[in-house]
Amino acid sequence: MPRRIEILPAVCLWIALLGLILFPLASSAATEPVGKPLMPDAELMIDHFDPETGKRIIPNERCLTCHGDKEHQTDVRDDGSPVEIFVNSQQIKDSVHGEQQCTSCHVTIDRVPHRKAPSVIVGCIECHRDTWEAHKDDPDDKYARLEIVNEQIDNFMHSVHAQPSELDQSRTNATCYDCHDGHNIGELGSIQRAEHRLKNPEICGRCHEQALADYRTSDHGVAVMREGDSDAAVCSDCHTTHEIAASKTDKAQLQITENCGNCHEEAQRTYFASYHGQVHRLGYTDAAKCHDCHGGHLVKSADDPTSEIHANNRLENCRNCHENANKNFLSFWPHGDADDRENYPDLWAFKTFMDILIFAVMGFFWIHVLLWLYREIMDRRQGKGFNEDLSQPDVVYFRRFPVVWRWIHFLFAIATMTLILTGTTLLFSHTTWAKAVVEFIGGIRMEAIIHRTAAVIWLSIFILHLILAIRNIRRNRASFKWFGSTSMLPNWKDLKDLRDMFKWFLGMGPRPQFSHWTYWQKFDYWAPFWGATVIGLSGLVLFMPGITSLILPGWSFNIANLVHAEEALLAAIFLNSVHFFNVHFRPERFPMSTAIFTGVIPIDEFKHDHRLEYDRLVKAGELEKHLVQRPSRRASLAASFITTVLIMTGLALLTLVLIGLITAPN
Amino acid sequence: MNHKNTLPKHLRNLLLAACTALPAAGVARPSGQALAFTCAGCHGTDGSSVGPSMPAIAGMDPEVFVDAMQAYREDKRNPSIMNRIAKAYSDEQLEDMGWFFASQRLRVFPQAYDAALAAQGLELHQQYCEKCHENGGLPGDAGTLAGQWIPYLHYTMEDFINGKRQWPRKMKRKVEAAIEAAGDQAIPALVNYYGSQSSTGPTMTTGTTGASGAEEQEQ
Repeated sequence: MPRRIEILPAVCLWIALLGLILFPLASSAATEPVGKPLMPDAELMIDHFDPETGKRIIPNERCLTCHGDKEHQTDVRDDGSPVEIFVNSQQIKDSVHGEQQCTSCHVTIDRVPHRKAPSVIVGCIECHRDTWEAHKDDPDDKYARLEIVNEQIDNFMHSVHAQPSELDQSRTNATCYDCHDGHNIGELGSIQRAEHRLKNPEICGRCHEQALADYRTSDHGVAVMREGDSDAAVCSDCHTTHEIAASKTDKAQLQITENCGNCHEEAQRTYFASYHGQVHRLGYTDAAKCHDCHGGHLVKSADDPTSEIHANNRLENCRNCHENANKNFLSFWPHGDADDRENYPDLWAFKTFMDILIFAVMGFFWIHVLLWLYREIMDRRQGKGFNEDLSQPDVVYFRRFPVVWRWIHFLFAIATMTLILTGTTLLFSHTTWAKAVVEFIGGIRMEAIIHRTAAVIWLSIFILHLILAIRNIRRNRASFKWFGSTSMLPNWKDLKDLRDMFKWFLGMGPRPQFSHWTYWQKFDYWAPFWGATVIGLSGLVLFMPGITSLILPGWSFNIANLVHAEEALLAAIFLNSVHFFNVHFRPERFPMSTAIFTGVIPIDEFKHDHRLEYDRLVKAGELEKHLVQRPSRRASLAASFITTVLIMTGLALLTLVLIGLITAPN
Repeated sequence: MNHKNTLPKHLRNLLLAACTALPAAGVARPSGQALAFTCAGCHGTDGSSVGPSMPAIAGMDPEVFVDAMQAYREDKRNPSIMNRIAKAYSDEQLEDMGWFFASQRLRVFPQAYDAALAAQGLELHQQYCEKCHENGGLPGDAGTLAGQWIPYLHYTMEDFINGKRQWPRKMKRKVEAAIEAAGDQAIPALVNYYGSQSSTGPTMTTGTTGASGAEEQEQ
């Protein structure tokens, strides 16, 4: 009978439910209220617990019962040793953390009185990160400062302080509250912050004892610790607040030197202009940094006899790097400023001369270039000027350069470009490209080797050329005409040609006719004589300072450095702009002339550019001697390829130089 | 065929038995209150003890309760009988019971005390005890002293002093300091002070460190 089966479980269920209801009622029936409530108004114990988390709520006042008791500021640990337990509650209230619960930070405190000796375990980072994460999009700026806090957290995490301690791997070298007085962190501009700044040396000195002892005696230390001058440098001004690197590392040394300039702007400006500073700015510590000469923590002014830069101690100081430094080093101006006429008149004079030279040469030739460009464009628009006759392709070429001159020019170009690249990295050490180039070629020491190697090649070629030229003259001395038609020597006609070119530029006369060498070619030839003298001599002084300092006074290095750089700059800009235009980029020649590599130019081009010499050769019946066949297709391609590479390199160098000049801080 | 559809007799009986047991099975975890009924025999209804040597546990701090019970369970605290009782409860049950007692208001009974000793006890309390046993020893994380039975307090202090019960951190130092200050009177004075609070014995003056702060917090 299915019906019977259904009833039975139903009855059972009903009985069970009834039981559920009656059971609690029956058991609570015995309540028998007695006594009176103790403190009826006081909270019940359960009210001292968070209903959600079940965690005990420990109000700050409970903590301050003991920790705020001014009369009992110390307690004893379980081992009997005394411990400072007092916290200044007013300070906390006034601090940025004034609204926090003690246990928000002291998260391990769960019982008061403490059942076990409490260890101060505070995790600042997570809370600051989470709070910023939660509030960074808030419309008000209440939490804005946390952005900086979080940046500093990142800096700290990468610092040596966040590394595990060598003595105890379970700890970091330092953590937030080793330096920050967590109970006393003031708002920006508050008294707390000002006080904290003045306390900075002592706080760092808790671990860095020797550094503090040294600092105390320094000009900075005296100002801060004795005179309470908060403008003077404290530890974090030089070492940074959070991005602290171990003092022996390049990072720390570069950072510190960089930071000296935050106060000593002038000193840094002049330092950066020196070789020492250029190396530093490229990111290398190989050359002297501020603290190498001025004595980091012991820094004192030059008139203090215990100062490392005092006249009596200075040579010793130089010898830290320049082991064999002699007394000539003492006349070097480490902060020599070519713009400071009063203190460095010699340097100023050289700088002024070089500046005038650069502006004059570049000014003149750039005007020359622009006018020439203008004239050729105007002429070509009128169908004038030299044009390749397509119906009569070039077959006959005029031979202008023998093999040896072609090789000399090629090597000269390579060496010059190498010198420009390596040299300007120092001159423009402030640029990113300079740092990248130096890193690419293998660092500052490798760069020094490359620069010197290129310089030796350059000078060797120059001298070799001189020897060859003199030998040629000697060989042909019977027939050699100093001012002959193929002479490189400037003559009156060159001046006349120059005048006539300008007339032509301005449409006031015909294009002048030239002999074997034009005046601009002669200028290109003779300019390196001047350059070789200036760059070469100054370069020799700088080549091996240890040796040259035996005979030269220290300041000659300042001057050598200055003129070397300025003349090199002139050469770099001139060659890669004016020379390129005259030879390659003017419309008649564009995109390039490969004559210096093939050694020949089409006879028509020769006729056009060197008409006087052409006429003379025809008249003398000597033209045939100079005529050659058109170079092979492969020779032409090779010459075009090499020329292209060199031109592109030159233009790239020019660009880098111009970037350097435009972005130069001074 | 009909017989086959009928529930076998023994199965039916089993089902009936299960139904009678359901009230217990239905409450999978007995409530803290239910568990606390057993305590009433000694510790009074809802923990407000009526007997002179039996501590009041109503209104007690739940973590202090659990600590005590666990200590009994693990034979770490001088017991009378509590060690055997405590072994019957799991941590979870102890927490439930603790929570139950914490939500009760302690009801106290007037007891005879020495007013002079109680007054002296108040002073000693304020100087040596108040920081931990805040608000004159009201229920808190340091246990309940206010309104506690005087004989019980005496026994307990004897246990501490005789080394039968482990001193909480720092307490020994404080008690010794109190004894040094007030001699043999110290313990009776303190015990009388706490006991007096079940009547209207000497009360804490306002402005005492901590007490005022706690009041502030409560507001």
